Amino acid sequence: MTAPKTAQRTVHLSEAENTLISQLLGAGARQAADEMTSVGLPTRRVEAYHYTDLKALLRDVPAIAQESEQVGVPQFRVPGAYRILVANGRIQQSTTPPNGIVVSEVAGSPLNERDDVLVRLNQALTGSSLVIGLQSSVDPVVHIDHRITGPASHAVSSVKIEVAPGATATVLETFSGSDSAHMGTHGTRVELAEGARLTHIIVDLSSAQSRHFHTIEYAIGANVQLRNLLVNSGSALSRTQMFGVFAGEGAHGDFTGLNLVDDGQHNDITLDMNHAVPNTTSQELFKSVVRNSAKAVFQGRIVVSPKAQKTDAKMMMQGLMLSEGAQILSKPELEIFADDVQCGHGSTCGELDAQSLFYLMSRGIARDDAKAMLIRAFVQELLDPIEDEELNEALSGIVEEWLVRPQAGT
Amino acid sequence: MSTPMLEIRNLHVRVEDKAILKGVDLTVPKGEVHAIMGRNGSGKSTLSYAIAGHDGYEITDGDILLDGQSIIEMEADERATSGLFLAFQYPIEIPGVATMTFLKAAMNAQRKNRGEEEMKTPEFMKAVRAAASDLSIDTAMLKRALNVGFSGGEKKRAEVLQMALLAPKMCILDETDSGLDIDALKVVSEGVNHLRSPERSMLVITHYQRLLNHIVPDRVHVFSDGRIVKSGGKELALELEAEGYSAFDEAAA
Ligand SMILES: Nc1ncnc2c1ncn2[C@@H]1O[C@H](COP(=O)(O)OP(=O)(O)OP(=O)(O)O)[C@@H](O)[C@H]1O
Ligand SMILES: [Mg+2]
Repeated sequence: MTAPKTAQRTVHLSEAENTLISQLLGAGARQAADEMTSVGLPTRRVEAYHYTDLKALLRDVPAIAQESEQVGVPQFRVPGAYRILVANGRIQQSTTPPNGIVVSEVAGSPLNERDDVLVRLNQALTGSSLVIGLQSSVDPVVHIDHRITGPASHAVSSVKIEVAPGATATVLETFSGSDSAHMGTHGTRVELAEGARLTHIIVDLSSAQSRHFHTIEYAIGANVQLRNLLVNSGSALSRTQMFGVFAGEGAHGDFTGLNLVDDGQHNDITLDMNHAVPNTTSQELFKSVVRNSAKAVFQGRIVVSPKAQKTDAKMMMQGLMLSEGAQILSKPELEIFADDVQCGHGSTCGELDAQSLFYLMSRGIARDDAKAMLIRAFVQELLDPIEDEELNEALSGIVEEWLVRPQAGT
Repeated sequence: MSTPMLEIRNLHVRVEDKAILKGVDLTVPKGEVHAIMGRNGSGKSTLSYAIAGHDGYEITDGDILLDGQSIIEMEADERATSGLFLAFQYPIEIPGVATMTFLKAAMNAQRKNRGEEEMKTPEFMKAVRAAASDLSIDTAMLKRALNVGFSGGEKKRAEVLQMALLAPKMCILDETDSGLDIDALKVVSEGVNHLRSPERSMLVITHYQRLLNHIVPDRVHVFSDGRIVKSGGKELALELEAEGYSAFDEAAA
């Protein structure tokens, strides 16, 4: 006779989990530590992490980041931008902000409670958050320069962005740092008051060894116009998750992203948009370009609440595979509880078009140059709506850098 | 006799395991214009793709020489920078690639091959404007993505514009006349005639004798079932127009 299986199995804790538990205890977050002890990091059996098995992928967690000593020059710079540096999770001295911007600091994480390990970690480990108040329309790009410096560290940067009624602004968040195997567990909450217009750009340029986790929340008021653009070209392992709630009528959101993924990288973009009130619209467009043995994940869910009539939401994911070992995993979902809505989703995945490549080459353009032209053409649609010229150029620069990045084996 | 511009010897080509070209022999001397006529599906475009270096067209036997040099081991871009140009029967639309960016890249690729410096923007713009005006092309069209939303005739004109800008020594025009209205046919033919020179040869694929009234060929070849079945002077085109292809099918048999 076999022994009866116990209903509650204790998980075997990995090195990463043990480190996280001690970091949580060190921060006084007993509840989060207990949770980690009993369930551990999510595995592929947890639906939201099916394609990004954190238990398997996160091998180790570096020590909590110390105060940064040498910060160095920014890796990504937009001429004319107002830049605020957050190094190793600590807000550094910034220059006097331009009119309309109020910079302050508040204790704790700006993220809402959520049954998600990355949110729990951010909440438990955030000391204080940067608060950017955009009280009226702001002309220069507001650049929040998140940096992890020094030896491999686990840093937590948290930001709250508040856009006042009717204000227009562009906020850029970049993540970069020294060339070590860092880990970041970041959080951003964006609150958009009635009639606010925001372009929010998030760029991950973390080192090739880094593990980058970022949770973004959008609280979208009435008549808001929001455009976001996520550009990933860094990190060995990353997950950027965006949770949005349309809470006021007449709002529109464009949620867009570009995953540039190369050998050994695993980059996950997870999106969850909730149309909670009537008469809101959203368009989601996410593209992945994957080269060599690498993986891009896109999970997108649009939820339309029962009373959210006249919702119009269109989600599209497009993948471009440049090599045999490349993998693109995509899971678009619609959960619609209202009847008078227009919603749709699509997903396409392919290689560079052979006919187009031949056409360009038949004009004398070398194969690699022709490929680069076609890759640029594929991503162009995402960059075109970014109206600030300097910013647009800087973002195109990331694509250009990626195109010429030396590759293993060549 | 000087080296021919293009020499095709016993060319056999396969597409997806299907033999399409079954022994093409063709010589185009320098400065000459040759026409190819033949039924739909006889392999004319296949011949043009095989010469231009499309990966999907496998050469199983024979050789292609451009100005005395075998090109069959070359990639398409190298053939182009060696002076070959194919005006496509169906030019490809490439969304997201600006026509001007493309033209500049193509012209600079030619220059790079000749060891010349890249073209400066004003010089480039001037060249494009001049060539466009010769072909009655509205430059507004060139602000769009490559061939995207161009009408059938506009695409064909844009092909000839590229040809004029790249100044190749061997031009292949695959049904450049199809889709052109009567006036456009005249303008484009004049553009092509303008490019005729002792140093440049052309292979003009067409279904219609009408084009050959404008671009008068030195030789006409009849293509059938993957090979040339008859060659003659320009009067051969008139003969074909009058009698159709069936008379020549027998010649092939
Ligand atoms: N990629 C391909 N796959 C399969 N068959 C092909 C392919 N390309 C061409 N063929 C076949 O090869 C034959 C020759 O085609 P080709 O396009 O060369 O004819 P063509 O003489 O140019 O005809 P048209 O006058 O209609 O332009 C046709 O039977 C065509 O179906
Ligand atoms: Mg054809």
